[in-house]
Amino acid sequence: MRRYETIFILRPSAGEEEINRIVGSTTQIILDEKGSIIELNKWGMKKLAYLIKKESLGYYIFCDFAGTPDAVAEIERKFRIDDLVLKYMTIKTAGSITEEEIQLAITAVSEKATAVADGEDDDTESEHLVEDEHEEDTDEE
Amino acid sequence: MAQRPQKKLFTRKKTCRFCGDKDLAIDYKDVKTLRNFVSERGKIIPRRIIGTCATHQRQLCEAIKQARQIAFLPYSGSSQG
Repeated sequence: MRRYETIFILRPSAGEEEINRIVGSTTQIILDEKGSIIELNKWGMKKLAYLIKKESLGYYIFCDFAGTPDAVAEIERKFRIDDLVLKYMTIKTAGSITEEEIQLAITAVSEKATAVADGEDDDTESEHLVEDEHEEDTDEE
Repeated sequence: MAQRPQKKLFTRKKTCRFCGDKDLAIDYKDVKTLRNFVSERGKIIPRRIIGTCATHQRQLCEAIKQARQIAFLPYSGSSQG
């Protein structure tokens, strides 16, 4: 099991229903491959730094998960087919992750979520990123 | 023999911001931090100017390129220009 982070950008015209459909199918693929989702976050509409498929806005969705390379390949295949997905990027943050580490990461994420809800505080996320920095690689289309 | 003018009088010592501040992590999602390390035109500022250490510059470079891929940072130009 490896740990990945996927960010994908949807067309701004995508409706609530379509967003949920894509998120649902993505999570389904991960779960089918016996992976688990650590964090799923809808960042919402953001301005893009450059035009992608003639769109200047995009709906960002961030997903941190533990899964297999097959799951990633399948997710990316689906993204390539789907016309609503403007762009996607998957980054491997850890070469191997155990069941306990997944649980730890999930609790860390939920703690962070409550901390953010209390006030502005986002320095908890830096911990896991530092140790995995040198291992990451990019999968691009 | 005339003495050479002391050139180094007003140069400030450049230090690596990431070594100085351990809490500051390099993350491609953290656009605010990365913005400090690219020029107005979106180019990565070289190490000899900004003073980051080799290790961190390498990580920074990677992070900026990843941020560019997912349209957090422009490849060129300030933004959409």
